[in-house]
Amino acid sequence: MNLIDIKTAYFIAYKTIIKGHKSTVSLIIFILSLSFFNLMFVSGFLSGFSDGIMQSMIDTSTAHIIVLPQEEPTRKDFIVDQNSVRAQIQTIPGIIATASHYQLGGSVAYDKEKNGKFKYVSAPIIGVNQKEEKDVLTVHENIVSGEFPDNLNKNEIILGANLSGGFDTVQTTDLGGAIVGDEVQMTYSNGISRTYTVKGIYKITIGGIGGSAFISTKEAEAILSTYNNASEIMIKVDLTKDTLDGYINKIKTMLPELKIEKYTARLSTVGILISAFDIIAVIVSVISIIVAAITIFVMIYVNAVSKRRQIGILKAIGIKESIIELSYILQSLFYASLGVVGGLIIIFWIVVPFIAIRPIPMPYGDASLTYTSLGIFINIISLIVAGILAGFVPAKIVARENILKSIWG
Amino acid sequence: MIKIEKLVKTYPGKVPTHALKGVSLDIAEGELVALMGRSGSGKSTLLHQLGLLDIPTSGKIIIGKQDVLSLSDAERTRFRLQHLGYVFQEYALIAEFTALENVYFPAQAFGDNDAKKRAEHLLDLVGLKERINHYPNEMSGGEQQRVAIARSLINNPKVLFADEPTANLDTVSSEIVFKLFQKLNKELKQTILVVTHEPEDKKYVDRVIWLKDGLIEKEE
Repeated sequence: MNLIDIKTAYFIAYKTIIKGHKSTVSLIIFILSLSFFNLMFVSGFLSGFSDGIMQSMIDTSTAHIIVLPQEEPTRKDFIVDQNSVRAQIQTIPGIIATASHYQLGGSVAYDKEKNGKFKYVSAPIIGVNQKEEKDVLTVHENIVSGEFPDNLNKNEIILGANLSGGFDTVQTTDLGGAIVGDEVQMTYSNGISRTYTVKGIYKITIGGIGGSAFISTKEAEAILSTYNNASEIMIKVDLTKDTLDGYINKIKTMLPELKIEKYTARLSTVGILISAFDIIAVIVSVISIIVAAITIFVMIYVNAVSKRRQIGILKAIGIKESIIELSYILQSLFYASLGVVGGLIIIFWIVVPFIAIRPIPMPYGDASLTYTSLGIFINIISLIVAGILAGFVPAKIVARENILKSIWG
Repeated sequence: MIKIEKLVKTYPGKVPTHALKGVSLDIAEGELVALMGRSGSGKSTLLHQLGLLDIPTSGKIIIGKQDVLSLSDAERTRFRLQHLGYVFQEYALIAEFTALENVYFPAQAFGDNDAKKRAEHLLDLVGLKERINHYPNEMSGGEQQRVAIARSLINNPKVLFADEPTANLDTVSSEIVFKLFQKLNKELKQTILVVTHEPEDKKYVDRVIWLKDGLIEKEE
């Protein structure tokens, strides 16, 4: 195939499209636009779903980076002198905020009917400095009853709705409906018991945080008999200034004795869910591409069959089969390219603005369509390659037919 | 110019059809020859084999000095493009191309940069200078056939084959087409082989070859 052959193929394709029925050309482009929209919408929605859950986990539970106590050569229970450690971390450019946590385990008891019959539920308890916590995590934004004060008293506790019960939660192991102002009894794993007044209840449905409870740092230190230490330090970073791995490397260099984790290490069942959605997204995308390819194949085949006579004439006057095939590939490329443009217009000019006006509520917040430049590029290339292949095959079939049969049927 | 030896064409099927049963024929350079015969006599089949639109079951076809049946598919396509002109009964113009584009396209595909100029000249020759930018559906049957003739001449073919070119035309248009063949034959020394079933067309040609049941019946 030389330049003249390519020019000839282009000429055939150009004239066939220009002189083709405008309604047929429009219909083909419209159907391909819908195929590309389908490909983009499903992958964007599933990607948005995964990203939404992940962001929700980062915002409410894990932050971006978690610093944990030393494990090697000897395992320690706490990060010692957390104020100093956090001050060091905050010298790294791009670190937005840090917050220290004490992790405590224990059993919560609640007597709903005040008749001496307690319901006991095991729960993780987190000791936090409320002011610091609000700079890193958004639990305070999810309060459904009471409040999440900056100055939580030593005898006050904030419960997750999955622990308190009620608020449309569907837990089998909750306290059965503790409300703000009620008293709950805590028995910690070291044997210390305390009675707390419920100050607030928050509801977070993604991850395990919804079944936890928060007490003040001072109260946690009193129970654990420690001071200025931490079970973990949560770090929020600005990802526009560095990558997550970049921040982790800097922290590791700064604090080589401590264990540093990425938020992905804390995703647990949510991580499995996200991985499953990623796999589903790939499967659905592949199916969408196959459906788009079949759609293009059928349309180009019908188009090629309806042009059998033209193909026969071209062969009769001495045009090579390869030129005819290339002309149909160019036509497919034209249709697929306009289908891509149409699909992008539907997605970014119609659907995305529509979802912005009328959001679809999801457990983690409002649904969004999430795209990366690479993802969009892969979708575009996938449809165009599918279009070229789907256009080539029918053209090859029809171009191989006997000339006389092509012309006269 | 054309030498055919024992050409056989059999269409397979439950009952095979023997369209050509061993035709041998010579056509000299510059001849205007008519192939005549009743429907089913094999005249169109013979023309299809000579125009390399179909492949005979056996026999030999030599055009110029080339044994065309020894060529590969791609070489046959190229030979058809470079050396043969073909005019179909139903014009076989490309609907999406204008008259001018239909004519120059086969030469353009061959890399001929002067194709457009020659196409204009050929359309002038067939009396369609004013219709060059019209599409086939905007032209009469006679005009379309003249475009088809102009197209068949664009690559200066060694031989021009015409398969019942006047079958769909009225008397006036038919006369125009045959007079055009005569003009091409006399002025350009073009070798022309035309299939027709109209006995009155004999007056336009140098020689008539009659076919019957896949064999040459007689020559006039």
